[in-house]
Amino acid sequence: MADLQNMRNIGISAHIDSGKTTLTERILYYCNRIHEIHEVRGKDGVGATMDSMELERERGITIASAATNVMWKETEINIIDTPGHVDFTIEVERSLRVLDGAVLVLCSVAGVQSQSITVDRQMKRYHVPRIAFVNKCDRTGANPYRVQKQLVEKLGLNAVLMQIPIGLEDKMQGVVDLVTMKALYFDDGPAQDMMREAEIPAELLDEAKAKREEMLDSVSMCSDAVMEAMLEETLTEELLNTEIRKATIALQLVPVLMGTAYKNKGIQALLNAVVSYLPNPGEVTNKALDLDNNEEEIILPSDENLPPVVLAFKLEDGQYGQLTYIRVYQGKVKKGDELFNTRSRKKFRVGRLIRMHANNMEDLVEAGCGEIAALFGVDCASGDTFCDPKLNYSLSSMYVPNPVISLAIKPLDKKAADNMGKALNRFTKEDPTFHTYVDSESNQTIIQGMGELHLEVYVERMKREYKAEVEIGEPEVAYREAITERAAFNYTHKKQTGGSGQYARVAGYIEPLAEAVEGEDPKDYEFGDEIKGGTIPTEYIPACDKGFQLAMKKGSQVGFPILGVRAVVNDGAWHAVDSSDQAFQTAALNAFREAFEKAHPVILEPIMKVEVVAPTEFQGSLFASVNQRRGIIISSTEDHAMCTVYADVPLSEMFGYSTTLRSLTQGKGEFSMELSKYGKVPMGVSEELKKEYQEKRKKEQK
Amino acid sequence: MEIQELNDLSPLRVFEESLDGGLGRGNLGVLVSRHGVGKTACLVHLATDKLLRGQHVIHVSFSGNVEHVINWYKEVFREVSEGRSLADAASVYNNILSNRVVMNFSQENVTIDKVLSSLETLIKHGSFKADAILFDGYKLTVATEDDVKKIKQFALDMNLEVWFSVSPVRADVAYDEFGVPNTMQKYTNLIDVLIGLIYNEDRDKVVMTLVKSRTSQKGKLMGVSLDPKTMLISQ
Repeated sequence: MADLQNMRNIGISAHIDSGKTTLTERILYYCNRIHEIHEVRGKDGVGATMDSMELERERGITIASAATNVMWKETEINIIDTPGHVDFTIEVERSLRVLDGAVLVLCSVAGVQSQSITVDRQMKRYHVPRIAFVNKCDRTGANPYRVQKQLVEKLGLNAVLMQIPIGLEDKMQGVVDLVTMKALYFDDGPAQDMMREAEIPAELLDEAKAKREEMLDSVSMCSDAVMEAMLEETLTEELLNTEIRKATIALQLVPVLMGTAYKNKGIQALLNAVVSYLPNPGEVTNKALDLDNNEEEIILPSDENLPPVVLAFKLEDGQYGQLTYIRVYQGKVKKGDELFNTRSRKKFRVGRLIRMHANNMEDLVEAGCGEIAALFGVDCASGDTFCDPKLNYSLSSMYVPNPVISLAIKPLDKKAADNMGKALNRFTKEDPTFHTYVDSESNQTIIQGMGELHLEVYVERMKREYKAEVEIGEPEVAYREAITERAAFNYTHKKQTGGSGQYARVAGYIEPLAEAVEGEDPKDYEFGDEIKGGTIPTEYIPACDKGFQLAMKKGSQVGFPILGVRAVVNDGAWHAVDSSDQAFQTAALNAFREAFEKAHPVILEPIMKVEVVAPTEFQGSLFASVNQRRGIIISSTEDHAMCTVYADVPLSEMFGYSTTLRSLTQGKGEFSMELSKYGKVPMGVSEELKKEYQEKRKKEQK
Repeated sequence: MEIQELNDLSPLRVFEESLDGGLGRGNLGVLVSRHGVGKTACLVHLATDKLLRGQHVIHVSFSGNVEHVINWYKEVFREVSEGRSLADAASVYNNILSNRVVMNFSQENVTIDKVLSSLETLIKHGSFKADAILFDGYKLTVATEDDVKKIKQFALDMNLEVWFSVSPVRADVAYDEFGVPNTMQKYTNLIDVLIGLIYNEDRDKVVMTLVKSRTSQKGKLMGVSLDPKTMLISQ
């Protein structure tokens, strides 16, 4: 059983292409988990070990976060390799939930990019202490000092350089460690990739001293002990490291390290920093909600003698069958133990317990507190909590955004249809941002997700992993409908065709809910009961509420859900025999529809926050491309030869943008986007959408 | 209160009156003071007023932090709208956002030619019909005469107002009684309006003085000053 102090659960997150997978690969190499290095986009056809999926190998990106376990000196490190693309942020968020610390990888040339900002925001949400690693220092234009500045300015982090580079770009030889004031080279040993300590080169000594002063200044701001020791000139390496560690864990400080994973420089020092500065599982406060006690918060001490509480944070359907990745928060899990899934309310027995390393695994007898392991053959969804049957805890629910885009898919043949069903079932369990349903009107299978690429990847996976060839339709945006004015209703539902009749009258009004203030989640629906004198008996009020909600599921303009409405009933009538829940529900439903038409309804569309980067000479094309897509340019930043444009653009206009951008910028531009908000569709476009919807309905009715 | 009324009552109307009807298109206006007096807030207030009147503005910053500038706008709008209980403030704000672009240059010593060419690109290719450009923190005191002439020509060509907020780059400059550093003097002929900001202890306000206008050359107190709490222009 590993000692908690010698354990780290860390994640590595970064902007796409900052070399995160290569870095992970090198860490595995230095911890002797793998014996040779394969490049991510390798020519040898083997691919990096972490990218276990064939598809990931081909595209050079990491989609699923595989957890892997390594030993660095005496410390056990669990690494969660997280995906870098915005479309998969649910994966990033899920891994952050189970991490105690993280390494934020940044490219020394590109610096802090939009994805780094998103990832950093997520880390802030889950209070994850982090250290920054400025990668790719061997690239032309590398400037770790600028990246450190950006961390301070753009992310508001107290980023402090722990090292300075010895040479940059193709002359990068190593780093100077500002804590020990030693030069570190990485050219020792038979393969010339081991770390070697040496004196600081004379020409760098002054700079190193100056930067060490800066570093000490920043650390002493967070630590009185360092401040005192500095004044008394008794500062030791141990004290400094202890205090940096404290400040890092308290999220007051972000140590910045640097190197180049590709050229094997700086990795060992980074691993040392992970051990020195990032917390062990015992140093992090984890909370659960007690379901028996009105969801009261409970602190989970990392004590392995207590009954177990476990989070299933990831499901994977790999070559070995269904795997459930778990993190043990309290107690320990042994083979044969009985656990209770607090969501499904089912008990199960722990069968095979393993520890994963990319594509190999190791059998375990037990998994201790703080550990990350995987279970075989457990039926659950990701995000479920397992605990001792005596307990009824749930680890806090994770924030799951609603999908913004949908795609109709059609299997090519009968066999594909069967396989598609299996695949969809699996994907929805693995990824809560991926939804699927069968549209009752068109009878088509619809998949929904967070972006074009997100859905594309799943279509590809269906084909490769499940041999389900599907035909795909045009991607469709998830519109919403809303009202802009208050409108009254007064509707009588009457039906007398033999047997007992139906009778209900409801009157009242609907009005738009106030727009949400920034930072708050907008409210979707509110129900108001202003009935006086029992014109509608209390027992039928919930039926009215239900009727309104039913009506809001599908707006009359384009058939998408209605948002942001307050519906109020203030009058009505009933009949002792003919009134029923059903009658009031129907009356409310129709009353809502009647008022909706009068309330000046509008169509809302998802607006994406888009960031486009390209060399400055393409600035005009970028502005024009955003402008043509009904985009609003928020800001534009020029930094040396690169120009970054931030804009709000409707999602419906962003389809195929990657192709357009490529041709506009000779392949030198790139972009990323995430949901910003829902905005009103302009008149012209909304008329067209309504027309299309009407035509579609007509066609379906035929 | 509706937008129209808010605009009519705005202290910016008094501000414009002091300038005989405002800066006017094709002209350069400068707000100058020591550091930390509140020029940025003042500039953002000028811009917000224009936005509320349906105009388009480009905010040029050199700080490297766009978020910071955007927060200033949020803050100033909040002050202005809450002070007058503007009706439907959230949607007004969302509407005016589309008429504002923040253009940021994070590299040091960017040439004015580069800045102007980027602005022109935005106006032409981005179809952004700017009515005013605000240079926040442009180092005017170390710019050459040629640079300023280029900006003036640009303002004329594009038919828009240009405002600068200026603080001296060097620490050892002398300030006159209006808060104008002596390094500004050589530009006085090139610019159309010069307003000095200085903190007045007796009145506990930042006093604004019209040092130069299109019609006069001597210092004249303006009818407005900066409220030290909100940093907004007030009567």
